[in-house]
Amino acid sequence: MSEATPLLEMRSISKRFDATQALDDVGLVLRAGEVHALLGENGAGKSTLIKIMTGIHPPDSGEILLDGKPVTLRSSADAQRVGIAAIYQEPMIFPDLNVAENIFIGHQNRGPIVNWGAMARDAERILGDLDIQLDVRTPARGLTLAAQQAVEVAKALSLQVRVLIMDEPTAALSAHEVAQLFKRVDKLKRQGVAILFISHRLDEVFQIADRVTVFRDGRHISTRPRAEVTPEGAIRDMVGRKMEDFFHRSERAFGDVLLRVDGLGRAGAFTGVSFEVKRGEVLGFAGLVGARRTDVGLALFGVAPADAGTITLAGQTVTIGSPQSAMSHGIAYVSEDRRQLGLSLPQSITANVTLATLKRYLSRLGLIKPVAEQATAAEFREKLSIRAASLEHPVGQLSGGNQQKVMLAKWLNLQPQVLILDEPTRGIDVGAKAEVHHIVDQLAQQGLAIILISSDLPEVLAMSDRVLVMREGRQVGIFEHGVATQEAVMTAAVGVA
Amino acid sequence: METLRRVLRPEQIRELSLALIIFVAVAFFSTQIENYLSGRFFVRVSTSVAITIVLATAQTLVILTRNIDLSIGSIVGVAAYVTGQVLGANPELSPLAAITVALIIGAGLGLINGLLVAYGRVPAIIVTLGTLAIYRTWLIDYAGAKTITADSLPQWLVDLPRLNLFSSGELDIRGLFVLAVVIAVLIQLALNYLPWGRRLYAIGSNPEAARMAGLPAPRLVVSAYAICGALAGLAGFMFLARFGTITVTAGQGLELQAVAAAVVGGVSTAGGSGTLLGALLGAVLIDTLNQSLTRMPGVSEFWRDALLGLLILVAVATDYVLMQRLRRLWIVDQLKARAAPTPAPEEHHAP
Amino acid sequence: MRLSLKSLRSWEGLLLVILIAVVALNIALSPVYLGVGNFINLFQLSIEKIIVALIMAFVIINGEIDLSVASVMGFAACVVAVVHENNALPFAAAVALALVVGALAGLVQGYFVAHMGLPSLAVTLAGLIGFRGMARMLVEDRSIGDFPEWFNALGQKPLLGPIPLALLIFVGMAVIAVIVLQSAAFGRYVTVIGNNADVARYSGIDVKRVKLSLFVLSGLVAALAGVLLAARLGAVRASTGEGFELDIITMVLLGGVSIFGGSGSLVGVGLSILIILNMRNGLGLANVEANTQTGIIGALLILSVLVPNLVNGLRRARVGRAGHT
Repeated sequence: MSEATPLLEMRSISKRFDATQALDDVGLVLRAGEVHALLGENGAGKSTLIKIMTGIHPPDSGEILLDGKPVTLRSSADAQRVGIAAIYQEPMIFPDLNVAENIFIGHQNRGPIVNWGAMARDAERILGDLDIQLDVRTPARGLTLAAQQAVEVAKALSLQVRVLIMDEPTAALSAHEVAQLFKRVDKLKRQGVAILFISHRLDEVFQIADRVTVFRDGRHISTRPRAEVTPEGAIRDMVGRKMEDFFHRSERAFGDVLLRVDGLGRAGAFTGVSFEVKRGEVLGFAGLVGARRTDVGLALFGVAPADAGTITLAGQTVTIGSPQSAMSHGIAYVSEDRRQLGLSLPQSITANVTLATLKRYLSRLGLIKPVAEQATAAEFREKLSIRAASLEHPVGQLSGGNQQKVMLAKWLNLQPQVLILDEPTRGIDVGAKAEVHHIVDQLAQQGLAIILISSDLPEVLAMSDRVLVMREGRQVGIFEHGVATQEAVMTAAVGVA
Repeated sequence: METLRRVLRPEQIRELSLALIIFVAVAFFSTQIENYLSGRFFVRVSTSVAITIVLATAQTLVILTRNIDLSIGSIVGVAAYVTGQVLGANPELSPLAAITVALIIGAGLGLINGLLVAYGRVPAIIVTLGTLAIYRTWLIDYAGAKTITADSLPQWLVDLPRLNLFSSGELDIRGLFVLAVVIAVLIQLALNYLPWGRRLYAIGSNPEAARMAGLPAPRLVVSAYAICGALAGLAGFMFLARFGTITVTAGQGLELQAVAAAVVGGVSTAGGSGTLLGALLGAVLIDTLNQSLTRMPGVSEFWRDALLGLLILVAVATDYVLMQRLRRLWIVDQLKARAAPTPAPEEHHAP
Repeated sequence: MRLSLKSLRSWEGLLLVILIAVVALNIALSPVYLGVGNFINLFQLSIEKIIVALIMAFVIINGEIDLSVASVMGFAACVVAVVHENNALPFAAAVALALVVGALAGLVQGYFVAHMGLPSLAVTLAGLIGFRGMARMLVEDRSIGDFPEWFNALGQKPLLGPIPLALLIFVGMAVIAVIVLQSAAFGRYVTVIGNNADVARYSGIDVKRVKLSLFVLSGLVAALAGVLLAARLGAVRASTGEGFELDIITMVLLGGVSIFGGSGSLVGVGLSILIILNMRNGLGLANVEANTQTGIIGALLILSVLVPNLVNGLRRARVGRAGHT
């Protein structure tokens, strides 16, 4: 590719929101046909940059050059017109419209009358080019997350995109689906599309990127060709200090079997899941997205109770029909979706920490004792090093990592025996991730039985004492730590011999 | 099975079952009420349902965008009254001009609602609860206890409700009824085949995604409210023609009937889903029950509202439960179809 | 400038400013405004609405709405009247029956909302039509009065000093409501559910029970208000209380409770009630018709959300421009 004129250049961009300087005089150059990775912790300014590139926010200062000529982007329609599109971690799908319409809805120039036949054909052609098999006439409601993501890629492509921004597109995808996505990215790259790729997963970045840029605290730190970047160097640039080991795991002694599950199943979700977890043990759950690992967690927590099999807790057979009954048995479930299922975002840290255990803070008159409540929150702020100006701060304003810790605090306050962690490090930055791993290790040492559901394969392998692998609602194997290699687990999860 | 599933989506099954319910209701009433299945009864229902259809259409447009318009009853009142007054003062005015007056009044009031919702970013229920009161208050102040009476209106208008487009024996097809159905059909076509219509569905289905896709949501919302208002204005004109006598309370409560028709017809208050065929069927069902119950022996006319409330509740509940079941069935079906071995993708696009 | 913007940002602050302005205007314009009698009267004329507004605030903070309250009020009043007319039960028992009927009305609607997951807008719209219909079935087009002397007296005469029963009930309920919302577990659950019902469910909160009890309470309180209305008016028709739901919802929303649920304070609702009552009172003293008052309240409802939106918009635009230079 020619070095002469970059396809897109962002020059000395600054942007301020109230008190925070989100971007401070940053630059970024995208060349045609390159995959450019953008790294940075949460709050480094990546999302702000994307929003400026896609016309959602105007920059306070600086300019955007396309083919060397300055452009002004006032709306996402403007950005689309010049060929800039973005796909996000949460697919932006219209559930009531069908797949073909979802792809073409933003188009301004498909004629005055909708030609459903032509639209379906065009959609099939684009999906075909990407090797995606979907009925373009089905409503998008009910598509899997991966399928929705695929529709998003097709949508971006249908716009004759020149610059494609991918904001954590793999966060919710399984390894197999990530591989498919990367094939599509490769295809786009060969067509001369410039791709800005944002991910917290360094292994992916090193697999796919041509150049790597790091932001920290709203500033540009470095841009280098991939060959000159090491994972250690990238992390140093991101966090501004050296990072010790990623997956903290100490030697642990197991107690007796605490949780035993035999032939657990729920119609339409999963069947025949059997395992046991000892006190002080971490049992990992691996599998592709759609393997129904979360459903097992929800059955144990009573949100979607099992209809087959038995659950034995410390030798006693128990029936779990609701979250309340699970909690009374000392089972806690930390959801994968902290914004939608885990935290009441507009409310304070204190209110969230005591939400599941509020009955403990009631006076004889049935009123909440604010002092006791705040003391608990303060204790967890200390223990888990939650960084917040005040405990009365709304949780929604915290960073992802700190939100994750508040959610952990809420469930640890229950003093559970069994802790189910569903994707505990999804979408949080490297530093916070290491802290969460450290906490998990400590909890296991204290004798909790932990179930760790994670799509981050290196994480689940390193943190778990044993790894249970699921595929399409079935348990396909349990691997001991050490035997559980990336290859062995993937083979079981994908289901190829 | 595959083609059946494609042709018959849960939404269509809903409309079919609604039609079935209407059929069953009519069959039931025909055994209870003498001379029920007569041309005269059809005429009676069709005359009253014409206004409900227009209002249900208006309401649906707004509900599709995840909003609501509770002020249309007041708009009907204002449009009916003012148009009646204009016609009383200028009897030589042509029918087309009179309709235009009603449409413009309605569109103007709808536009105010739309601007407040879309650009003032005030929730629709607040705006239209407010304008429900404001428009009515204005009308009461303006009218000053004077009533529009039929003898002040030109003869063509008084005769309009009895204008038949087509008649055979006892069965008359009223012009206003046909007008209402034609409007619903035309707007549904626009919703299906104009980019404008598809975008109304899109912004109701997922407002955030619509913003990301660069759809001009505020303008679309304003257009939905303006057209909704214009249709309410038209309904006001039809109201004027039908009753001749217009007091300041004209049209009061019609907003609830319109919401009820849309909801019974399966238009989701969460936006993005529903059709005008459904709303039309909802309007027909409600008016059929209304008109039938008043004539049913042993049923006091005072029972009407109680039964209507029950009907809405039952319709919403069964509809909701049914739709959830059906959708789940459909999705499971799709998953199975996907899990089944599929031909290699390469076959689809030879080099 | 900075100060005024900041106080605008706090909704209660703005309401307080408006209230002071309305009261000052009333004092300036009307000599009879400042009198105990007028104050009691000011509350008394809308006492049933403001009682229901308290529970409505909880329902809306919970993320739901109850459009049926005015119809339940009318229905309960008609139950009392019809039982009395037929001498079927002692009068006190008739009142108790009306309260039970109101709670049942709430239970039915609450079941559909909480257990079947139907939108409350649709369910209570059906309730609005249906319960008014039931009132009509009971009373048809009659007007029933001739209640026992003690009942009418409770509704019309002062009970404690100059204060009538209904006002005492309102004050008592207001105190309880403030305490429950701010420092009882139930209040916290109501708010969390209003923010995000899934989060509440995943935290082991019995969402269905909270929602169901809210609707039962809403029906019960509405029925109580209906009985008080019957006592105050001394006669009941099928249309008693018709249209009250608009005023009640306006009081709650003007008080800063979010129509989407999850946030709102009873201090705001209290201030908005005072503003509306004083405004109506002042307008009434100034011989403005009731109809016009309704229009003004409608405008106030819209402005209450529009003005802060516009102020925020302007502020953002100014900050944006400042950043450019």
